[in-house]
Amino acid sequence: MSVSIATPGPRLLGRLRLALGLRGVPWIALLVLLLVLICAAGGEAIAPNDPNDLDLGAAFRPPVFELGGSFATPLGTDNLGRDLLSRIMGGARVSVIVAFYAIILSGSIGALAGMASGYFGGMIDTLIMRLVEIQQSVPSVALALILAAALSPGLTTVIVVIALTYWAWYARIIRGEVLSLKTRDYVAYARVAGVGTATIFLRHLLPNILNTLLVLATLQVGQVILFEASLSFLGLGVQQPDVSWGLMLSDARQYITHAWWPITMPGLAIMLTCLSANIVGDWLRDRLDPHLRQL
Amino acid sequence: MLQIESLTKHYQTRRGTVRAVEDVSFGIGEGETVALVGESGCGKSTIAKLVLLLERPTSGRVLFEGNDVRRLDRSALRAYRRTVQAVFQDPYSSLNPRMRVGAIIAEPIMAHAQLSRTDLQREIARALDVVGLPQTASRLYPHEFSGGQRQRVAIARALALRPRMIVLDEPVSALDVSIRAQVLNLLADIQREFTLTYLVIAHDLALVEHFSTRVAVIYLGRLVEAGPTREVFAAPRHPYTRALLDAVPIPDPDHPLAVSEQAGEPASALDPPPGCHFHPRCPLALAICRETAPILMGDRHQAACHLLTEEPAR
Amino acid sequence: MRLLQVRDLQTHLHLRRGVLRPVDGVSLDVDEGETLGLVGESGSGKTMTGLSLLRLLPKGAGRIAGGSIQLDGRELTSLSEREMARSVRGRLIAMIAQDPMTSLNPVWSIGTQVMTPMRVHGIESGARLRAAAAEILRRVRIPSAEKRLPDYPHQFSGGQRQRIVTAMAIGSSPRLLIADEPTTALDVTIQAQIIALLRRIQTETGAGIILITHDLGVAASLCHRIAVMYAGRIVEQGPVRSVYRKPAHPYTQALLAAIPRLGAGSDRLTAIPGQPPSLAELPSGCRFAPSCPHRMAVCDTYPPETEIGDDHRAACWLHARPN
Repeated sequence: MSVSIATPGPRLLGRLRLALGLRGVPWIALLVLLLVLICAAGGEAIAPNDPNDLDLGAAFRPPVFELGGSFATPLGTDNLGRDLLSRIMGGARVSVIVAFYAIILSGSIGALAGMASGYFGGMIDTLIMRLVEIQQSVPSVALALILAAALSPGLTTVIVVIALTYWAWYARIIRGEVLSLKTRDYVAYARVAGVGTATIFLRHLLPNILNTLLVLATLQVGQVILFEASLSFLGLGVQQPDVSWGLMLSDARQYITHAWWPITMPGLAIMLTCLSANIVGDWLRDRLDPHLRQL
Repeated sequence: MLQIESLTKHYQTRRGTVRAVEDVSFGIGEGETVALVGESGCGKSTIAKLVLLLERPTSGRVLFEGNDVRRLDRSALRAYRRTVQAVFQDPYSSLNPRMRVGAIIAEPIMAHAQLSRTDLQREIARALDVVGLPQTASRLYPHEFSGGQRQRVAIARALALRPRMIVLDEPVSALDVSIRAQVLNLLADIQREFTLTYLVIAHDLALVEHFSTRVAVIYLGRLVEAGPTREVFAAPRHPYTRALLDAVPIPDPDHPLAVSEQAGEPASALDPPPGCHFHPRCPLALAICRETAPILMGDRHQAACHLLTEEPAR
Repeated sequence: MRLLQVRDLQTHLHLRRGVLRPVDGVSLDVDEGETLGLVGESGSGKTMTGLSLLRLLPKGAGRIAGGSIQLDGRELTSLSEREMARSVRGRLIAMIAQDPMTSLNPVWSIGTQVMTPMRVHGIESGARLRAAAAEILRRVRIPSAEKRLPDYPHQFSGGQRQRIVTAMAIGSSPRLLIADEPTTALDVTIQAQIIALLRRIQTETGAGIILITHDLGVAASLCHRIAVMYAGRIVEQGPVRSVYRKPAHPYTQALLAAIPRLGAGSDRLTAIPGQPPSLAELPSGCRFAPSCPHRMAVCDTYPPETEIGDDHRAACWLHARPN
């Protein structure tokens, strides 16, 4: 007795190709993110000028479209004559590194905590959720201050602070997902078949929360970059001579009445990156969810 | 082969104690197909979960070949898991959408033994063959199959460990009518071929009559009637069984349903009526029914009702 | 004049993966006081047919591509959306959806939910609204109806919720009631009560009822006439006795043979091989042919509807008369 099988749908790669070919793809947002990644990878090598190259004679040169601007420094220069465009490109690296490590760290801790909390319930759940609540009631900036005092300020501190701040958010959401996944029949079946708990986590829970994690991570990129910028702005993050968007904001703060561009340009960079990340995150969520619902 | 003794399960919730299963006892012999019937919330699915060790009983025992399953040591427990398998109701949530069919069928095998790749492929191929799916199916994902085909995959998975007993929780209620027949015939065939014992949870009485040798009727957590299917359906001894049978619409226009609108609603398991749970809806209720719960009477065909006058069940 | 006359109705769904034709040339009639059972399995198009009568199709994707729907002689396909909403939906044609758990809004009292359609359609107003709502709840046998008007859906059982939904539907005394699987989500004893309720409502109001279901037992208990749907078309229709006793179309025969019946013993059920065709790729010939035991070469062309007995028709070459 043979049974015919329904026409197989496109596999993952095929699905991706289909996805990119359809309307509704946020091309511009993706392009922006790609540019940021390129800058992060290339860094100083591809910047038109050395981000730390002082040229006091060229200080406060306006952007190219204003009077007195020049193509050599298309976005203008800051108070020390450093090319803003190159500094933004250099600063991209910090943002990307921080975003990458912080998100991976907070995502992993949060996902593990959420999975354990949701799957095991009982005391473990209560304990983890209490930790989450404590975490979320501590103001993140205060936490940053304390940690920066304890450790020395710098990139590592920023990453640690962000990870400690955001894991709770992941944990809560993943816990919710796992609570509903736990009741799926295939999880019950795995228990009936005698599959071990670790395998259930890896094979049944994790792949099915991967989508959610992915979307959460992209939505977080914006938040993380902003946070890093705030920390650096407060002097708790990246220190001179390293470049960071937050530092640029902090440096330019005092000259706002003198020149609008040293603070606006990095501000725009931050805004565009966050916006693009959010748009891509939204798009990913729409793409991945209904697809699964259709199945 | 499987004996359930005074099995009880209470759930503590915010609103009180839910008495899902109350002092239920029955046995399943080798090769039999025993059906648990009842309406939603009666506890039949809970009994299935207790047998499958997905839940812990509040009291009572589940005995497999004489041994209390809760007292099995690790290796005996693993043996139990190999011997007693399950097929669930919903073909859409019983298969992990991210796993290929081959991996899904291999999962139980891998949990118990380390087979070589060729041996594994052979087992998967055998399982697919038994349920009538082509070999190419093992590389596909669940969403590429129809409901009936997915249920076949679930059956293949249950057979992978060569169990002796399968617990089937509403195996066809989520399927289309014409597909149900296919799957039921398949289940009957493999039962014959592999000498399997089935515990079926169902609410469709016609299906139960067609498919099972013995039936146990559950109402609000209590066993109210049990016996050989044909006998119980032809001559039901408990008023609830009679009410259930009367309520089944027959696909024959010359025998339309003759039920009044006032047959009443089932009570909740949070606050069951005292005495016999069924007394508020029973047309034959006596004063004693409100006070004392009846005990099972009879031998092969048992029922728990004060109106019966017989020897209490052993 | 018939209450409802549908001729060659076609509804298309425009989806990303193609155009589905769940209703592909459906013609049916319903008289006053008559219950027509629309029987079929999932994917047959029966729910879409019901929704098409109310023009409640998925926004943008679904549209009626052809055919006519006449209610009391009035053509519905040419009405504007406003006219449909104002005078037809909930007034002339009402619908009882499948799942009573989700048809009722959990945050509104049942009084509000029963009163709203009556108010919107101008049946009652002001003080008389409450009395009318209580009256209609009494008619569907909700005990202490007046006192329970402020209660919320979760305070009622499944069967009672289905009665409340029925009350909402009949509040405006519709001419036609479309019941989409009204008993599927209910226990069998409650199902029996709802069947009795629908029978009584029909006798009392004289409305026509279209019962959409896959359960042949429920259909036999309620319907005067049956229409069997397969892959977007009606393959057989006629008086219920006729269709059940002498099914003419092989699909109807197979369906009747595939269901277990009480008291029938445990002979093997006759399974229907294969699956229905996808609604996106409908063949030009008979759609049941691939699964049909009587398949012939001529089945590559769609068979004409042939009259078999009194008002009993089937679309099958086995019964077609030579011209």
